[in-house]
Amino acid sequence: MSVAAVRTGNEAGFVSKTLLLARKDLVVEARGRETLPAMLAFSFAVTLLLAFTLPPESSMRSDVPFVVGTVPVAQVLAGYLWVTILFAGLIGFARAFEVERADGAIDPLVMAPLDRSGLFAAKALSNLVTLLLVQVFLVPTFGLLFGVNLGGRWFVLIVVIALVDVGFVMVGTLFSALAAQTRSRELMLPILALPILVPIFIAATELTADLFAGGGMGEVAARGWFGILIASDVIFSVVGALAFEFVVER
Amino acid sequence: MIELKGVRAVYGKTIALDKVNLSITPGIVGLYGPNGSGKSTLLRVVAGLHRPVLGQIVFDGAQPRPNDENLRRRMSYAGHDAGLYGRLSVEENLRLFATLWGAPTERVQPLLEQIGLQDRARSRVDELSAGLKRRASVARALVVEPEILLLDEPFASLDDAAADLVTASIKAWHAPGRTAIIATHGAKRLKSFATTAIVLRRGSVASDRDRQVTEVIA
Repeated sequence: MSVAAVRTGNEAGFVSKTLLLARKDLVVEARGRETLPAMLAFSFAVTLLLAFTLPPESSMRSDVPFVVGTVPVAQVLAGYLWVTILFAGLIGFARAFEVERADGAIDPLVMAPLDRSGLFAAKALSNLVTLLLVQVFLVPTFGLLFGVNLGGRWFVLIVVIALVDVGFVMVGTLFSALAAQTRSRELMLPILALPILVPIFIAATELTADLFAGGGMGEVAARGWFGILIASDVIFSVVGALAFEFVVER
Repeated sequence: MIELKGVRAVYGKTIALDKVNLSITPGIVGLYGPNGSGKSTLLRVVAGLHRPVLGQIVFDGAQPRPNDENLRRRMSYAGHDAGLYGRLSVEENLRLFATLWGAPTERVQPLLEQIGLQDRARSRVDELSAGLKRRASVARALVVEPEILLLDEPFASLDDAAADLVTASIKAWHAPGRTAIIATHGAKRLKSFATTAIVLRRGSVASDRDRQVTEVIA
């Protein structure tokens, strides 16, 4: 019996190996603290800057709905929130494979006896955790600075964020792997990913604007944007897992 | 047995390997040649890290399926880069890769002692010198207990004592049925324990000699 055959019996499974790799990424980030602080600093700086772009009476605290030109302030603020999340996420994803590239660890990783979709899922999972950590800081800060009070409707925003994050992370992880193989990797990621991400972030902005404008789950769901997000999540999860094999192939 | 049949590998417009035909039987194979002769490319092609534009690589008479996990489980490679995570300790790296390959993690400590890194087990890899990194890299390749071991310049940056430890570790790993292909441009040390030699020089197979010396010439 070959060594390989003997090993298969005691070998960690797909899920265990995937979680092991995701945990490795988070440990490396916790020790290096290179990506998360940059994402947080960007988010805070942009949110603070945007808070000064609207007149004080445009705050969501006002009882009278404020209109910026022809656009309700709820729409503007939803755009602000998601543009900040979009670019903060891209900053993080651009560095997703830097840890492998720096010491040539991509070679043994690619050679590991694990389906490529496991490598993809591990990297996507660690990216998702990092993005969520940024959002845990950003969303309350945004709410305070812009006077957003959703009352009991916070859970709807959490559902929207969760649905956006899945698709965003899948696209970001796939294209960060592709961009990592180019010289101008940090430039390439937004060029490759942004066109694909546009539908996800339009849906996110529309849903959040409805929510900021006072809509509940029923009103927010009525326009069908949730369907776009759910479809994007499914499509990009499947495409990402399947295409990753060809992306890392050299 | 590993067979290369008419392999051509390129980097852009540069031909790194051309019409390479080799049959590599189990043993310790020394892969010799000057800089730029294609040693590293040959190892990467065998490892599946670089896809040849022409030719086939056959393992035990069968051409592997693309991304064959069972083949990858049998193989390990240590290239020019350490292939280790700098922010993890040496021990954490070895445990990580042993687990990924399904090899017993109990093997980590004895291997670290064997290769002289027991005092550095908890040191982060990015704090190690080039020579210590090289040893850790070889340990990472050995800890997964491969049937096929591919080492690119494993003695680079090592002093004599460290090179002796690496040599001893490779000899201890070797057993009947296992194949090591070790690339080096300094052949003296490797010749003392290699069972087979392949010489590359910018090109294609030229001759077989005693001790199965295969010379590859442009």
